[in-house]
Amino acid sequence: MNTSKRWLPRTFKVALLTLLLLWTLIPICWMVLSSFKANDIITASTPRVLFSPTLEHYASLFSSGNSLWPYLLNSLFIAGTSTLIAVVLGCMAGFGLSRIRIKGKQHLAFWIISTRMAPIAAVIVPLYLLFRYLYLLDTHAGLIVAYLSFNLPFAIWLMTAFFDDLPPDLEEAAMIDGATKLQAFRYVVLPLMTPGLVTTTILCFIFAWNDYAFAQTFSGPNTQTIPIAAAQLLTQTGIDWGKLLAIGTIVVCPMAIAGLLVKRWLVQGLTLGAVK
Amino acid sequence: MATLQLNNIVKNFGSTQVIKGVDLEVKDREFVVFVGPSGCGKSTLMRMIAGLESTTSGDIFIDGERINDVGPADRRLAMVFQSYALYPHMTVEDNMGFNLRLAKVPKAERREKVLAAARILQLEELLDRKPRALSGGQRQRVAIGRAIVRNPSIFLFDEPLSNLDAALRVQMRIELARLHEELDATMIYVTHDQIEAMTMADKIVVLQGGVVEQIGSPMALYHHPANRFVAGFIGSPKMNFLDVEIRGADAEGVDVVLPGGDCRVPVKGDGVSTGDKLTLGVRPEHLKIDDQGPLTGKILVIERLGGTTSLYLENGDSQWILVADGDVTSRVHDQIRFSFDPACAHLFKRNGEALLHRHCHPLVASESK
Ligand SMILES: Nc1ncnc2c1ncn2[C@@H]1O[C@H](COP(=O)(O)OP(=O)(O)O)[C@@H](O)[C@H]1O
Ligand SMILES: [Mg+2]
Repeated sequence: MNTSKRWLPRTFKVALLTLLLLWTLIPICWMVLSSFKANDIITASTPRVLFSPTLEHYASLFSSGNSLWPYLLNSLFIAGTSTLIAVVLGCMAGFGLSRIRIKGKQHLAFWIISTRMAPIAAVIVPLYLLFRYLYLLDTHAGLIVAYLSFNLPFAIWLMTAFFDDLPPDLEEAAMIDGATKLQAFRYVVLPLMTPGLVTTTILCFIFAWNDYAFAQTFSGPNTQTIPIAAAQLLTQTGIDWGKLLAIGTIVVCPMAIAGLLVKRWLVQGLTLGAVK
Repeated sequence: MATLQLNNIVKNFGSTQVIKGVDLEVKDREFVVFVGPSGCGKSTLMRMIAGLESTTSGDIFIDGERINDVGPADRRLAMVFQSYALYPHMTVEDNMGFNLRLAKVPKAERREKVLAAARILQLEELLDRKPRALSGGQRQRVAIGRAIVRNPSIFLFDEPLSNLDAALRVQMRIELARLHEELDATMIYVTHDQIEAMTMADKIVVLQGGVVEQIGSPMALYHHPANRFVAGFIGSPKMNFLDVEIRGADAEGVDVVLPGGDCRVPVKGDGVSTGDKLTLGVRPEHLKIDDQGPLTGKILVIERLGGTTSLYLENGDSQWILVADGDVTSRVHDQIRFSFDPACAHLFKRNGEALLHRHCHPLVASESK
């Protein structure tokens, strides 16, 4: 009786997950696959799975003239720096917020995360004006600050949840063992925070790496990121599908691979407190 | 070598007062147990001694030196947490040697000291394991080992045995007592279990609602409880209580009215007058079946433990527990009479305060010498 009761939902679950997986994976796989096709195959009306692969689109992306390198370096530098700052500050603030005993702590925590909930569109214009006065338009610092405005509250909130999960007994034991607060943090708390740090780092990096709206508004000739480069291929005279698919692959693959590499920690991090 | 002194310690969490003025003196090498029901402030008091909580007011002295403003790292204490608080990412050896590593002790010397402590606790085989690969009892020993390696002036234990099963708890209790002997150290131990307190302590501090109810040796608390709370808390099964009326009282004793005849309890009756209502307290092991006894009851339940038998009695709305020999022949529903030695009885005033016994119990008297 029990098995027959669970049999249907289980089939249903598998079917649902399969659909979801196909929905997610097919476009990505198709994009990666097609980025190795010659232009005439990409645009052919019958889709082809078998073809002789070519690297011509990648080669042309990095060839002199209109190289992708500056965009790639901008993306790496801006996303990397803003992620680093967000995670370092988020880690420290999260630790403080988790351990401090003050009235209205939840309200403070909620206020911090609520700043992350504003839609990007709502802050773009004010930020634009602010950046113009501060001469931050078309600077790396400007974009880093823009991403921080979203990633920092998110990192603080996420790290607070991770620290809440770590019993304070451990750092107290360390302090009784003769550690200063900083040593207890360095030797006991931080090593146990790996899942939290990895999860926060990846989620922050993805946000900055994928962003188009901020980059479109605040960047200039010197600071354009990869999503901007992709958009520039959509011109009025036509769409260079081959290059576009190659850029798409370059944007997506590093994130997917990083995600797979740290899957263990990421899952542990995202299910936060669900399993003890 | 370490003494500890608490002077009028108070602790508030926000607007609630959790510790309400505690005074205590701990002698060198003494084993002191804080005991009391859950939530009475035992852990808070211990955490203040450890420096993990600040004091709202009052002073803490270790070896005569005021340490209120000294951080936990510099109080030279070791603490065993209820959760053990082993560092999950370190091996047993690194866990035990962590304080030496912080003190920058060279590796060889570190290993030597860890090994010495591991030998005391039979942990040599486990030194390379991580805490998650240990059983509850082994984790417990590692936590104690870590405290030993620290070579502290005072050991603090916060309910260290409460996560172990009953058999292991008894074994660790004995081991801790042995350890106290062997290390010759001052130890403070928190528990809600009065049996742990009775079996291990040199001195018991009974706490309730942030107030010290009584401080004394196990035998002093057993034979001369200062009030009704201590009387009920110490001893197992619990002391029987009966509301009684007073026939007469003087400095030599108090005459109590009982259903089957009066009885003179040898306590100092100053301030008590005829007609007063007091509470009589008699421990189950001091009640005995007695056909001429002044008390009666019907047996509700019999628990035979082999060596002793517990009889649960009822008479009207009063309940009694009587601990008798293992081979009593009474049966459930029997109506029995019972009595007690008045010298073993206690009388409590309405406010719970005990009337002083005229004679000090010989065991207690010999302790104070
Ligand atoms: N950090 C804290 N903030 C507020 N109240 C606390 C805190 N720690 C303990 N308390 C309260 O203080 C009282 C005593 O707690 P505790 O010392 O842990 O009791 P015990 O160890 O005797 O069970 C409890 O009522 C508890 O709720
Ligand atoms: Mg406690």
